[in-house]
Amino acid sequence: MDLLKYIFSLSLVLISVSFCFGQEENLYAPKEEKVPLVLKGIKLGVNVGRFTDFQFKPERFSYEASLDFNLSNKYYGIIEAGYSEIDLKKENYNYSSEGNFYKIGMDYNMLKKQPSDYLGMGFRIGRADFTQSANNILIEDDHWPSFTTAIDSKSYNMYWLEVSFGLKGELFKNVYLGWAAMVKIRMTGGKDAAFQAYDIPGFGKGESSINLGANYYIYYQIPFNRNK
Amino acid sequence: MKSINYIILIILVTVSVYSCSDDQCNADTDALLKTELLVLDTNLTSIKYLANLSVYSPEWTDSIHYSEEGSKNILNFNLSPISDTTEIVITSLNAALNDTLFIYSRRELLFLSPECGFVTTFTIDTILNSTNYIDSLKIITKNISTEKDGSIKIYF
Repeated sequence: MDLLKYIFSLSLVLISVSFCFGQEENLYAPKEEKVPLVLKGIKLGVNVGRFTDFQFKPERFSYEASLDFNLSNKYYGIIEAGYSEIDLKKENYNYSSEGNFYKIGMDYNMLKKQPSDYLGMGFRIGRADFTQSANNILIEDDHWPSFTTAIDSKSYNMYWLEVSFGLKGELFKNVYLGWAAMVKIRMTGGKDAAFQAYDIPGFGKGESSINLGANYYIYYQIPFNRNK
Repeated sequence: MKSINYIILIILVTVSVYSCSDDQCNADTDALLKTELLVLDTNLTSIKYLANLSVYSPEWTDSIHYSEEGSKNILNFNLSPISDTTEIVITSLNAALNDTLFIYSRRELLFLSPECGFVTTFTIDTILNSTNYIDSLKIITKNISTEKDGSIKIYF
């Protein structure tokens, strides 16, 4: 399953890379001109990578969308939000969780000569609010009788910092394909020494302080102010 | 531009390696009470009290025999995952009487990992014992987890 996941990742990355870099070699301008920041467009995006959960992470159902405010093709204000639920059925327990996550941050475009595309780095501050519970917990022992128990729903929130590196390119007019790899660093919250979350919405593995991830977005750019 | 491709490749390889995991529970899931049995009474040593010693709980259908599962004066067993009171009977083939331990503890369910599921950990509050052969009992380590066993010493 992991192999399939990374073949899928690799092919999406290769498509993005070839599509963004196949056109021109010299993408960097020798000197940077100072221009006032102007809102040049808003992109609405959907993380299509999450639609592959049914194949690669069948216990998870999630979705994620983003708003991307283009400031003079140089800086992009980013708002992302999503929902995630886990329904994990194992031989000796059932685990479920659900929650929302929100991210706010900024991307910096390193491309100077292709203003409609993006290659750059960014950061996000993320917050997740989620609940988790478990039932049919089977406790077995060589001598003591087996029994089943449950843990009632508990609520949590957590914050993390995210640093990303990514690409966005215009596939068709006003339609963009984007890919980003990110490092997510736990800041505070979301910990429970006895009942550590399996998967924290938007952050990933609950037991980890640092998670790596990748997003695959399709964006629609609301066509206004584009040529200014 | 080549350097960007290298960066992407490094990130992908890192993500792949970092995400690799199997679905097997490879962790230790036992949270045991290590019981050291120190037989100092010469009357008991003469009847090979320890060699023939067994422990059981009235809730068990079997016993743990020192001759089979014990060594170096130590016998391990789990506290009750169902109750905060664990009753353990200590018996020996050549001894006329038994001794009983009542171990009072607090239990906590711990989500060990997605692969292993849940285990029960304990904190011993107190232990009461009969004194047919037991002289004294000492709690050495009261917290019992999968990472560290609890420990008591029983002097006969």
